[in-house]
Amino acid sequence: MPPRGNASLPVLHIMVALADGPRHGYAIKQEVERRTEGAIRLGPGTLYEAIQRLEEGGLIEETPADRIAARENGQEAQRRYYQLTDRGWTSLRLELRGLGRLVDAARTNPRLRKGLA
Amino acid sequence: MRVIRWLLWLYPAPFRERYGAEMAAVVAGDPLSVRVVIDLLGTAARLRLRQIRQTLRTFTHGRPPGLPSSRKRDEMDTIFQDLRYALRQFARRPGFTAIGVLSLGLAIGGNSLIYGMLDGFVFHPFPYPQPDRLVAIGVTFPKLSAETTYVESISPAEYFDVKRSRSFAQTASFDLGNRNISGGDVPERVFTALLLDDLFPVIGMTPALGRGFTKEELAPNGPPAAIISHRLWQSRFGGDAGIVNRAIRISGRSASIVGVMPPGLLVIGTDLWIPWGGDASSMPRNVRQFNVLARLAPGVSLSQANAELAGIARQVEQAEKAKFAEYDNWQLTATPWAAALLKDVRPAAFVLLGAVGLVLLIACANVTNLFLARASTRHRELAVRLALGAAGWRLTRLLLTESVLLAIAGAAVGLVIAWLGLSGAGALIPGQFQLLGLHAGVNGRVLAWSLALALASGLMVGFIPAIHATRTDPHESLKADSRTGTSRGGRRVRHALVVAELALSVVLLLGAGLLIRSFLNIQRVDRGFDPRGVLTMRLTLPRDRYPGEAAGAFFDHLSERIAALPGVRVVAAASQFPPMSFGDSQFDLEHRQPDGTTLPTALATVATPRFFETLRVSLRAGRFFSATDRLDTPFVAIVNQSFANRYLNGVDPLGQRVRLGSPDRQRTWLTIVGVVADSRNSGVTQPVRPEIYTPVRQQTAWNQLFVLVRTDTAPAALLPLVRQTVSALDSEQPVYMVQTLEDALATASFQQRISTLLLAIFAGVALVLAAIGIYGVMSYAVVARTQEMGVRLAIGARPRDVVWLVLAQVGKLSAFGLALGVGMLIVAGSALEGLLVDVRPMDAPTIIAVALILAVVALVAAWAPAARAARVDPITALRYE
Repeated sequence: MPPRGNASLPVLHIMVALADGPRHGYAIKQEVERRTEGAIRLGPGTLYEAIQRLEEGGLIEETPADRIAARENGQEAQRRYYQLTDRGWTSLRLELRGLGRLVDAARTNPRLRKGLA
Repeated sequence: MRVIRWLLWLYPAPFRERYGAEMAAVVAGDPLSVRVVIDLLGTAARLRLRQIRQTLRTFTHGRPPGLPSSRKRDEMDTIFQDLRYALRQFARRPGFTAIGVLSLGLAIGGNSLIYGMLDGFVFHPFPYPQPDRLVAIGVTFPKLSAETTYVESISPAEYFDVKRSRSFAQTASFDLGNRNISGGDVPERVFTALLLDDLFPVIGMTPALGRGFTKEELAPNGPPAAIISHRLWQSRFGGDAGIVNRAIRISGRSASIVGVMPPGLLVIGTDLWIPWGGDASSMPRNVRQFNVLARLAPGVSLSQANAELAGIARQVEQAEKAKFAEYDNWQLTATPWAAALLKDVRPAAFVLLGAVGLVLLIACANVTNLFLARASTRHRELAVRLALGAAGWRLTRLLLTESVLLAIAGAAVGLVIAWLGLSGAGALIPGQFQLLGLHAGVNGRVLAWSLALALASGLMVGFIPAIHATRTDPHESLKADSRTGTSRGGRRVRHALVVAELALSVVLLLGAGLLIRSFLNIQRVDRGFDPRGVLTMRLTLPRDRYPGEAAGAFFDHLSERIAALPGVRVVAAASQFPPMSFGDSQFDLEHRQPDGTTLPTALATVATPRFFETLRVSLRAGRFFSATDRLDTPFVAIVNQSFANRYLNGVDPLGQRVRLGSPDRQRTWLTIVGVVADSRNSGVTQPVRPEIYTPVRQQTAWNQLFVLVRTDTAPAALLPLVRQTVSALDSEQPVYMVQTLEDALATASFQQRISTLLLAIFAGVALVLAAIGIYGVMSYAVVARTQEMGVRLAIGARPRDVVWLVLAQVGKLSAFGLALGVGMLIVAGSALEGLLVDVRPMDAPTIIAVALILAVVALVAAWAPAARAARVDPITALRYE
């Protein structure tokens, strides 16, 4: 899994959602939908394909189960919670920086500037 | 939620195991939408593609990580190198690869299909442990018949003789019959085994539910108990777990269900097992109605067991021959049970296995030719490799890797074909097998067989090209430049292969042709009765409610009622009917003293007056039975023409007197009042047996009869009305064994039907393969001889002459193939003879037809190469000189 420069948009959204703290799959999906106001709706296949890639790349990891089991009550304890690894944090920062540069570069074009804040 | 679970199966297993449950939870969070399903399908496809790419990468980009080092690794490296090389070769020539894989796939598929059928029906038909140690005991009484019979053919006394043998670990004996089960909405007729001795220890299975029989239950007049089959448990009792110790009524008597056997356990199609219950020790020696099964004792071979049985038979002969003449030279035989039960399908099955074997050989010859043709274009590459110092065995291995890989791909295609074929075959399988609970499918053994075939054919296919390639002299090949592979040796091998293919196809075509002729002969046989529009069914009246004359009266009454239904023409009842009559009896004639004490036997049938009219069997002399033939009028009989010819030759049959039954019983003289025409009463292809008919109303023994209904309309459509009629007379009477007479005929000729169909298919496949072979070889020959053709055309040959040149060569090859094929059939014909009806293996019309077909196919296959040869432009062809 290359750590920078070519992460897909769903992957980035998932990582940003995890930057708030550990979440399980369904919570990630809901958070992404909330953030993008429903513009990005991750299907279950897309979601877990991305999670698999992130896990294989060592960018996210499963949260040790006991902590979650204590926090939730019973029913949801069987779900896996994911969190960013150190490598994941670094990678996310690099990706966002890259995106920032892209946006900066776009700003220099007057025809694009209007659409950007 | 079922949808998602189903969709998840599309995912690679590791992914599914890790994320499947979570994904299901995510889907559960929102209503299922088309978008989600599309997302799941798309991701599955992406993951699968990734998986395939990774697998391929290990082949095409070196070995996968983590292989052991040292020599072993080098070895692995070479294998991977060879595999990678082979895959690249295939990818480079998709046409070649497709033809190779399809040819081998078709052939291996045919083999797997037939092997699967043999496996399911002959080799491993039963789910018992060590089925090959389970034997059936058959008897042969040369004085009565040359046939060895296994079913309902042994008396209790003879069983006790067999039981003395030390060759068997366990023995069991049972009688077969039908019992009504009632208590429920619909009474049901169930095929039942009545056990003289416990059957299940012999078979080696225990009930899945409850227990087996106890000694007390099996003893004479023991407490009534029953064990039922899994399918009866499911169909009749809805799989009720509390069935054990429940009481049911079996033919009017109450019995307690003590056990349910596991699924798949059926003994000759029986679903209910109950103790026989009578006192067997008092039964006479010559009342033979039992089947005997035994399990060979550890370390005892079948021939040892048979030797011991022969000794027992001799002892019995010594002791009993004076009283029972049939013991003269009688034999007891132990045969593996599957073989005893299914012996009549074996010849067909093995002929078919041989036939598909030939198809595989043809396919192999074809693919060998493809490899040879390709090898000649790769000549230079291989020569370079040899020149650079590659060892001959490395090249051989390289080429064999290619051919084996191709064959394995073929086996994969073949297994799909076999799987489709075996699932589809269910429709062709007659009731005989369904009744026995047999089925065929792709299992581990079929898989192993297919892989073994793939390996063998891969090696076979690669062998000749490999030898050819390594014999190449690199020096010569490199010098000779692009004029490729025209060596005389190579051509001879290729031509020999085509001739072999043609010869094998001819064998298959002749076999198929002969079977088709036999089949047509069967259709043409004068059956002596008219099967069209007749519905048959069986009824069995319980003795306690229909004693004495009541049973006959019931059938008369029922016949009248059914005859009154719209669309019904005639109705009759009889104990059996053609084409499959089994019930026979000893008899003697007043006018002729029998030779010795053993009486001859004839088929003995009880029938109502309109029986012959219903079957449209014509009267030759005298009269049919009439309604006035009753217990209080003189006893009468009707015989068939064969009986009159054989036993009453030279006298007027009418007025002769005949007695039925064995001499130790009370018998009455019957006066022959009629002679009817012969009908094929023991199989359509078998000679007609002498038969004696007696009126239903002049006996009281038969309570189980078939009802035959001749209709003006489709007979099967009448069944509901007939059932209603029966039910109106007696609501507890089940109607069973319902079939039309035409179906009964079809079942009787099933073996011929299916062998003909399959052999015709195989012959067709063989012909297509041979045509591909001719086409390939001739195309290649034309390319190789382009210059020659060019020269010929340049010095004045007309295109027509060139076409003739090519066709003449094909003609020569075909003639060789035909001659060789006919010669092979002379050798192999005896295997086929058992399946042929009124045709000799050397049948001139069949051979001529096959020769014509072969000529047409060869012409079609050679036409394109010949036309190409005629279009050769002399200038272009010669420019290369």
